[in-house]
Amino acid sequence: MIKIENLTKHYHAAQGKVEAINGLNLEVDDGEIFGMIGPSGAGKSTLIRMLNLLEQPTSGTININGTDLTELSSQNLRAARQKIGMIFQHFNLLSSRTVLGNVAFPLEIAGVAKKERIAKAKELIELVGLSDRADHYPAQLSGGQKQRVGIARALANDPDLLLSDEATSSLDPESTKSVLELLAKIRDEMNLTIILITHEMGVIKDICDRVAVLEAGQIIEEGSILDIFARPKQTLTKKFISSVIDFDLPERIIKYVKAERPGELIRISFVGEKTHDPYISDLVKHYSVDANILYGNIDEIQGVPFGTLVLDLEGQLTNIEESINYLQSQDLRVEVLDNV
Amino acid sequence: MFDLITDLARYNDLMISGSLETLYMVAMSLFFAIVGGIPLGVLTTITRENHIIPNKPLNFVLDGIINIGRSIPFIILMVAVIPFTRMIVGTSIGTNAAVVPLSLAAIPFMGRVTDNAILEIEHGVIESAQSMGASPLQIVFKVLLPESLPAIILGLTLTAISLVSYSAMAGAVGGGGLGDIAIRYGYQRFQLAIMLETIVILVVMVQLIQFFGNKIASFFDHR
Repeated sequence: MIKIENLTKHYHAAQGKVEAINGLNLEVDDGEIFGMIGPSGAGKSTLIRMLNLLEQPTSGTININGTDLTELSSQNLRAARQKIGMIFQHFNLLSSRTVLGNVAFPLEIAGVAKKERIAKAKELIELVGLSDRADHYPAQLSGGQKQRVGIARALANDPDLLLSDEATSSLDPESTKSVLELLAKIRDEMNLTIILITHEMGVIKDICDRVAVLEAGQIIEEGSILDIFARPKQTLTKKFISSVIDFDLPERIIKYVKAERPGELIRISFVGEKTHDPYISDLVKHYSVDANILYGNIDEIQGVPFGTLVLDLEGQLTNIEESINYLQSQDLRVEVLDNV
Repeated sequence: MFDLITDLARYNDLMISGSLETLYMVAMSLFFAIVGGIPLGVLTTITRENHIIPNKPLNFVLDGIINIGRSIPFIILMVAVIPFTRMIVGTSIGTNAAVVPLSLAAIPFMGRVTDNAILEIEHGVIESAQSMGASPLQIVFKVLLPESLPAIILGLTLTAISLVSYSAMAGAVGGGGLGDIAIRYGYQRFQLAIMLETIVILVVMVQLIQFFGNKIASFFDHR
């Protein structure tokens, strides 16, 4: 388990003191894919680079499986780092080595015998699907292939934790998808923990179990993916979600909201099994209201259905209120749309 | 015209031995440039701020050595180190004596070339090695030197060519080699043919060094 307590990083820049990370606390469970998202300048990169002490924290502790990294001697830190793999936005492969040489590199550092490291490297190259490219140099590979080499290299010393620093940010959508699928696959097969940072909500939506939203060096919201998508609290979170799921109502409905009308306009968000339950017919049957569906949208997050519905409720005011209460009691997120 | 050709034929042996002396001086001092200059350059780079073992005082000293060495004109360096040359070689005249100032000029030159070559490596590559738990020594030998090898080879080529020209200067004060011949026969005895031939040989030498330097560098370059 990874436990981060009161983590702070301040540094001095030309513009004065910069507080990159401010008293951050975080726990990540074993085997979890934990995503951190935030706008540029939120401190994501500083944060993930502190997790293997590439960046020295100003204060706070970073506890990985019971060892506080900040207290290790430089020699012990190097040993600990062998169990923390890292992949980078710009891959950072050695241009002077072939794919095989790059994947074997961390094993060489760890002092593994040549025969063993070549066998292990070949195994990993096969895992990432690059067996036919083992003798190629990085310059001869596409971005997606380079990142696969990066992943194979990061796995060489059988790490417990894999850090991903914007690993898909310089890839095209197709390579991004296949790299993310690969990450999910190795998590399942090798049971390692993955912490990734990104500025793309699509990455979070596709593979993360939990997410933390970072703003100005602090976590402003944290939770399971479904919770965050279903009930985002912060404006920034909503903004990120709307970049992958269409939250904005069509123009036609906005006009309708603004117009004079008898009833109440509500938006319901629902997740998972709730999509199967017959709420609307319940409403109509039990609360004597008419429900007119104006807009609907169902998406899927990691195989779980996730949807929004805009209803125009007409009937007596008390009935409408009661029906809204009923929906809320069903653990649905209900918003009354007065203005959009 | 006929005079020129008979002159050249007469001095064939002289030209061959002069060329060999020049090559000997260049090769010897290039050897010392590799042995002394590359470590000097590596140490200068890695002690820089934000590099793998930042050390401000040491970096200041090393950087200073390189700058001072590079700022002394070779002809002056050659004369200034005569006592040192005598101490090491026992004489200040001849090709072996010339190797001393040539090496002293080539070491800082090669140091700067190496420093520049290593600085070209993207910081992310070094960081990725650190993230795998590589020690500074491992980073130097497994990352910095292999990654900058093509640039270092081109730098060695550059150093070798500078040494060809410096060795001609060393010849002027009794170091031997093609420069010595050009001065004594071509200049002082007005033998134009000899002067021209030394120039042609030097030009061919430089062309060949550059040609093979480029070839070797691109053989190691996989970027």
